[in-house]
Amino acid sequence: MDVNADATDGFDTSRLVDIGKSIYSLVIVLVLWELVGQLELIHYYFLPPLSDIILRFIELTLSGQMLENAFLTLYRALVGLAIASVFGVIVGVLSARNDFVDWFFDPIIKIGYPVPIISLIPVFMLWFGIGDISKIIMVAVGTFWPVAVNARDSTQQVQTNLLWAAQMMGTSDRRLLRRVVLPAALPGIITGFQIAMPLSLIITFVFEMVAGGGGLGALEIQGVRSFQSAQVYAAIIAVMFIGIGLDRGLRFIRSRLLHWT
Amino acid sequence: MDGRVTISELEKVYGEGPERTKAIDDLSFDVEGGEFVSVVGPSGCGKSTLLYLIAGFLDTTSGTIAVDGEPISGPGTDRGVVFQDYALFPWRTVFENVTYGLEESGVPKEERQTTAQKYIDLVDLDGFEDKYPKELSGGMKQRVGIARTLAYEPKILLMDEPFGALDQPLREALQDQLIDIWDDLGKTIVFITHDVEEAVYLSERVLIMTRHPGTKKTVTEIDLDRSGSREDIVTSDAFAQYKNAVWKSLHEETQTEVTL
Repeated sequence: MDVNADATDGFDTSRLVDIGKSIYSLVIVLVLWELVGQLELIHYYFLPPLSDIILRFIELTLSGQMLENAFLTLYRALVGLAIASVFGVIVGVLSARNDFVDWFFDPIIKIGYPVPIISLIPVFMLWFGIGDISKIIMVAVGTFWPVAVNARDSTQQVQTNLLWAAQMMGTSDRRLLRRVVLPAALPGIITGFQIAMPLSLIITFVFEMVAGGGGLGALEIQGVRSFQSAQVYAAIIAVMFIGIGLDRGLRFIRSRLLHWT
Repeated sequence: MDGRVTISELEKVYGEGPERTKAIDDLSFDVEGGEFVSVVGPSGCGKSTLLYLIAGFLDTTSGTIAVDGEPISGPGTDRGVVFQDYALFPWRTVFENVTYGLEESGVPKEERQTTAQKYIDLVDLDGFEDKYPKELSGGMKQRVGIARTLAYEPKILLMDEPFGALDQPLREALQDQLIDIWDDLGKTIVFITHDVEEAVYLSERVLIMTRHPGTKKTVTEIDLDRSGSREDIVTSDAFAQYKNAVWKSLHEETQTEVTL
């Protein structure tokens, strides 16, 4: 959250020192990594020195492969997540507000949420093939559950007093949803997105590893198969940056929309 | 005068079968227009239930509640509730909370702003218009709650232990502010409290309810000379006598509670 505050300040050395202090354990690990690799304490194939991985990362970036694959992964994850968000919020909010919808979806959610969605990848390959559509549907199905459950629970938890307060001031039942229920449930709904986001990357990445068709998961598994372990780690670093970036982005959106919390 | 509440043979039952509990039984009571009535009773006597029935949030099991002779059916803008836990909309600023009711009744923007500002000033919250509820103390939140309810100008104010969560000095300040508002605006006020002193200090009549199921036990008329300061009033003999009478009546009820 305070990352935004950092950006507003100028770049001065004390701030750099602060950042250094906050990540120095990470720096030690990275230096050890480089040393272990350079001294060949671990075989190159298992853990190349960090510098080799960075060089490979730059190489892949300059050749355009990195961006192309990163785009594919990001595209599949985000489109799937967007679809899940729309349906998840609608189903979740309606389940909390309507007995019939709850009667219908509650058993489905109870069964569906705990299923390790990745185990269904072969089924999805049979049904929808290995292309973008198949991956996007898988992401949408897998991330639907946390979005729906969080939307439902946060809608159920909207205080009755808030609804009563609106009703006494003349809000009709029809307008209650937009005027009170949704704004009151918004923090929980956004929490659902935050839980679903890394899941969308995991599903995309694994599907790409299993089924190919480009993307960072495919780039990584290709590295393993061609004994280029630097490429394996380069792909991992790329998806890590994407994960951090998306998480920061969602946090920023959250702090903007929910500045009142 | 408008804002008369007529409660006849009111009964409220929660649940069904073995879970069935009678919260309110055969309660008849009238509140005159412009009157300030407090309701006291042992905890669990259904006094909050009574308030929410008058507000129309809950349905009566039998009996009727009428406002100015018209039986109520659900919540309406002729009545306004001030909640114990404030129930402010946290995503709206103080100003937006106060304009909410005016927005809902389609009042034009300019008029909304003038009216909201008037009531914000009335509860001494000028300067806090753009704050969010989380930035306010409990006392300030409750003043927003009062301003929000006054702003759409209901005839009847229903207050559910509004100052229960506040400390003594703050509670006294808000009590005096409420009396001023009542003097100025002439609303009918039904005020739920478990604080005998608060009930006697504020109201013209105190309705004491029996323990479970709740019904009317006694009604005490409070005829105090309120021209003096708070100190004059609370140290007067009359005040002590009223307080004793209400306390005794209430104490009989809490005694039964202990023996049960």
